[in-house]
Amino acid sequence: MEEQTSSAGTTAVATAEFEPLILAFCCYWCAYAGADLAGTSRMQYPTNARIIRVQCSGMVHPNLVIEALTKGADGVLMIGCHPGDCHYLEGNLRAKARAEAITLMLEDFALEPERFRLEWVSAAEGQRFAEVMTSMVEQIRKLGPSPFRNY
Amino acid sequence: MPVRLAEEWFAICGGCEVTILDIGEPLLDILEKVSIVHMPVLMDHKLFGQTGEGTEMEIPEADVGLIAGGIRSEEHRKLAQEMRKKCKTLIALGSCACYGGIPALANQYMTEEILQKVYRESVTTESNGLPNVDIPAMTDRVYALREVVPVDMSLPGCPTTPEMVVGALTALLEGKKFELPTKSVCDDCPLIREKKAVSTLKRRFEAPEFTPGRPLTEMRCLMEQGFLCQGPATRTGCGGSEGTPRCIRAYMPCEGCFGPLSDKANPMVDMMGALASIGLDPKQIPDRAATFNRFSGAGRLRPSPRR
Repeated sequence: MEEQTSSAGTTAVATAEFEPLILAFCCYWCAYAGADLAGTSRMQYPTNARIIRVQCSGMVHPNLVIEALTKGADGVLMIGCHPGDCHYLEGNLRAKARAEAITLMLEDFALEPERFRLEWVSAAEGQRFAEVMTSMVEQIRKLGPSPFRNY
Repeated sequence: MPVRLAEEWFAICGGCEVTILDIGEPLLDILEKVSIVHMPVLMDHKLFGQTGEGTEMEIPEADVGLIAGGIRSEEHRKLAQEMRKKCKTLIALGSCACYGGIPALANQYMTEEILQKVYRESVTTESNGLPNVDIPAMTDRVYALREVVPVDMSLPGCPTTPEMVVGALTALLEGKKFELPTKSVCDDCPLIREKKAVSTLKRRFEAPEFTPGRPLTEMRCLMEQGFLCQGPATRTGCGGSEGTPRCIRAYMPCEGCFGPLSDKANPMVDMMGALASIGLDPKQIPDRAATFNRFSGAGRLRPSPRR
């Protein structure tokens, strides 16, 4: 089995033991705190996601998501505060609008729409963070590696 | 000794040559310093020698080479290589040479599909055989000049601006550096922006709101008025010394003719992001890829992926 190095510098064994590489943009006020809670509560969830902390989900430009997906990430998560709870009032609504645009564009890049997901996780929802991670990893595992992995 | 200038045109409408004419008075100063040795639009200089005695296409030696238009046929490719060989400095003139331009919209289809459509299937066409006598072969797609040969200078725009051509040529004659602006059209646009759309997307033939006679600084951003404006993802510079972008001066949204902000930029992703960010519905754009890459199809547009 040939070993391949993905763009994030992680080594994964090709095909047979496919380990999804997922990028998760988590907002500082809710999602990242939720991830923290999941961690401090010792909840178990797959370690495939690389979390990137952003100030608000509303600052995740579609460029970042598309670039991640076309440069080797198998899936991208965008996690923000529940609607109405945004620290910056309506940042997550902007994220929602952008997420729709991103989903439309995935088609243009011949990517499955399931590779990108927008989720809401509050700072108190460590359990939910773990669930989101688990289900996303399962979903990507089913889809298989991104067509851009060895592009 | 005057500077020798060669010009060649490929897949293009000829508008960029008109831009050279449009330079006006400064052209007289430039013409004193240059001598044109090859220019199909102006001169009867044959490629295979004046009586057709040559066997290879030949272009005379020149100091400066201007090329307008993208590469669509093998003849263009050969001529581009010949120009590169004979010219010390090669300038890509206009968006077609820089990014493929309008002809590169064809890159969304396979060559076979295009030929079938144009010569057989189109309702207004008398169906006939494909032309095949004495014509150069079509390339598999439209290439920007720099995809085929190294280019020293790029002057985008559809057509490019007289001021930019003068700027580049004078810089070259005086041995100075010439660089394109790196900011976006929005950075030079004087309209009022509040980052929130006041309307849903409108058809481009509807009229924007403004008070005639009042300065542009009192007009609301066209994108926020619901008109698709490529400003956020387009290189500025069309306004020249006046600053205000050309289309905005005419109360029209930016078409994106100066091409993307950088080689790595993806105007479609930028524009979809910009639309969604101010609250417009990106689903309403019928043909995303072509709309947002109208002038930059070379290397960016490709036949839609089949999964």
